[in-house]
Amino acid sequence: MGLSLGKVVKADSHIHYLCQIYGRHEVKADSVPQPHHYALGNFVQIGLGGENGLIIGLIYDTMLLNPDFGNLGPRLSPEHELKIFAPDYLNERAVLVRIAAVGHVAPSGEIFQGVPRLAASSDAEVREMSPAQIREFHRGSDGGLHLAYLPVLLRQTDPLIYDMVQMMLGQLAGLLSEAQRAELDVISDELLWRTQIGPLGGTQ
Amino acid sequence: MSQPLGRAKGPGPRPHTFLFVSADADQTLKIGEFVVYPVRVDGREQQVLARINEREAIRLYPDGFSADPTVDPNRIAAMVGYSGRTSELFQMTAEVIGYYDEALGDFVNPRIPPRVGTPIWLADNAYLSHVLSRRRVDEQGAGSMGWLLSRPRGEVPVAIDLAAVVSTHLAIIASTGAGKSYTASVLIEEMLRPTTRAAILIIDPHGEYSTLNEIPNARELYGDGYRPEARIYAPGDVRIRVGTLEQGDLRYLLPNVSERMSYVLGRAYRTAEAASRRRCGEADRWTRAELEDAIEKEGENEADSFDRGSANALLWRLRSTVRTGAGHIFDDQEQTPLEELLRPGRVSVMQLSQVDSREQQVIVAALLRRIFTARLRTKNGQVDEGDEFYLPYPVFILIEEAHNFAPSGEDIVTTGILKKILAEGRKFGVGVGLISQRPGKLDSDVLSQCNTQFLMRIVNPVDQSKVREGVEAVGRELLDELPALTKGQAIISGAAVNTPMLCQIRPRYTTHGGAGADAPEEWVRYMGGSNVARRQRESAPLQQPGRRARLFKSE
Repeated sequence: MGLSLGKVVKADSHIHYLCQIYGRHEVKADSVPQPHHYALGNFVQIGLGGENGLIIGLIYDTMLLNPDFGNLGPRLSPEHELKIFAPDYLNERAVLVRIAAVGHVAPSGEIFQGVPRLAASSDAEVREMSPAQIREFHRGSDGGLHLAYLPVLLRQTDPLIYDMVQMMLGQLAGLLSEAQRAELDVISDELLWRTQIGPLGGTQ
Repeated sequence: MSQPLGRAKGPGPRPHTFLFVSADADQTLKIGEFVVYPVRVDGREQQVLARINEREAIRLYPDGFSADPTVDPNRIAAMVGYSGRTSELFQMTAEVIGYYDEALGDFVNPRIPPRVGTPIWLADNAYLSHVLSRRRVDEQGAGSMGWLLSRPRGEVPVAIDLAAVVSTHLAIIASTGAGKSYTASVLIEEMLRPTTRAAILIIDPHGEYSTLNEIPNARELYGDGYRPEARIYAPGDVRIRVGTLEQGDLRYLLPNVSERMSYVLGRAYRTAEAASRRRCGEADRWTRAELEDAIEKEGENEADSFDRGSANALLWRLRSTVRTGAGHIFDDQEQTPLEELLRPGRVSVMQLSQVDSREQQVIVAALLRRIFTARLRTKNGQVDEGDEFYLPYPVFILIEEAHNFAPSGEDIVTTGILKKILAEGRKFGVGVGLISQRPGKLDSDVLSQCNTQFLMRIVNPVDQSKVREGVEAVGRELLDELPALTKGQAIISGAAVNTPMLCQIRPRYTTHGGAGADAPEEWVRYMGGSNVARRQRESAPLQQPGRRARLFKSE
């Protein structure tokens, strides 16, 4: 099992989830997720509970929650004494990541890529995926590399999508055979051209 | 097999074309290059050959990346974060030629474009050598003209089928200086190889083929005791008997013949023919004197002084134009035997460089008629050995400046017989090769009946459009290459090859004689130190005894 990263706190749509990353008061000190665990383009799995399997998602945005932002008024306790006098207040600060659902893994191990039929519930646990799980998720029924969710991602209007996809492809490339990497390069190169050269006037 | 160079994208803009995409990193996919893709036919995998006709860039850096010539646009791309490998991507339009059917000896078009994503490979040299040419190099009747232009020198030899050239005729079309006489000479050399030993006659109005007299020394053409021969006939060396001239020839040859004169000529001609028939049983043995007599008599018989004037004018024209005897082409009795002019293993070059153009046309018409009649009679068993019309083997006649002998929009003395040979020559073994630098001025029917074409650089738009009309075998896209061809490069198409192709003509064994004069070189040589001194010496009257003698002789 991969490291537990946080829990689902909100869903903006059937595939867009908001996950609150566990802070140091919520899990053991050695299990606190570090920034590289919830980096942009990382694969995560969201538990559906019971016999429903898992939703596979991709982190496509990061937000910071800080209730102190915009509060310019006087405080009873100075900043360095908040830990003693108002620990709850500190707990309200959090890292939130946006996750786009890109597939589903049934308890039987059957893999589906694309928009999952099932949705996660609030408080559903979000975990990181191991390299073996990522490889398995991308293995098609013919044994070849499978990225059927890519069009779903690219349909998103989020300005970070293309960059996130490049990071995801980069992460994936490191897990694949040379032949599969060549296939991935075709997609990667095409997206790179569209994002880096296309906007400057390159022929597309 | 190496890696594929591209993948099929889909059907092309025209029937039998398809598109494929390639990064072509090594720049191997040139226009005219051949590619193959696999297809299953009757359970067997076949390689379908296709030719690249268009190349269009579909992925290019923005123009601005090349704004500073000292900066590599790849560097700019890397600077803005592009780390991909494919900065150029091309879409090729390829024309399907088909898979080669060994039994048929020709290509069969699958009539369906390749599926999307079908791998496209560069056709390998061995496959191309096997399927493009009708004959193997060194095989009987093979003409090794050069090699495929898109491949390195000699890797894919182009061997044409010389039997097809002779039986279905040839056209060599090119602008001045593109190498048409060079190409024709290479063809002649090939036809004189021991494996072919053709009987060739060249009509050479400009004296460009005199260097073919080196042919007997070309060791490359020796074999089994065989050594090719060459005969160069200067004007006057070949004799045409005047009796073989037809009434139309005379009418065409004589300047400004009025209708009245033509009438008198017609009557006199028939009288002369009758006289000849009475004398020796043949109508074509009349002499110029007999024709003159007949014309005079026609004039005397006419009561009208106007007719007498016409007869006299005709006589004057005949005597000044049709000269017979020593040093002239026309003769009353003699004519060069056909078996001397045309003999297997021999090229005869008939130079007409100092002959008036109308006389040239009449000479060629008379000669072609004679050759055609000889082949027809020999083939039909009407003549035996020893007869002047006995010609027991096929012949090939190469005509330079063909637009002068079959001009567009005009019917001259040679047009009829040329068309007859082009239409019927196959049956009787008379092949014609027409060479022209002005296809626009060449008769369309004549051009379209030449079933093998060597097309070299043509820049003139009128000539290009004429070639498009007259040469059906070559696609529009390949013809677009015509102005871009350089010296010695030719599109070979038609009956002698399996598919049109761009060919680099091989170097000649004999010296090239068709090159234009180098005027600056000649001027400089004329003004060279020793030449100037020599001329001054020669033009000084008092220093030359001969000149001095003349000065004092004037009294």
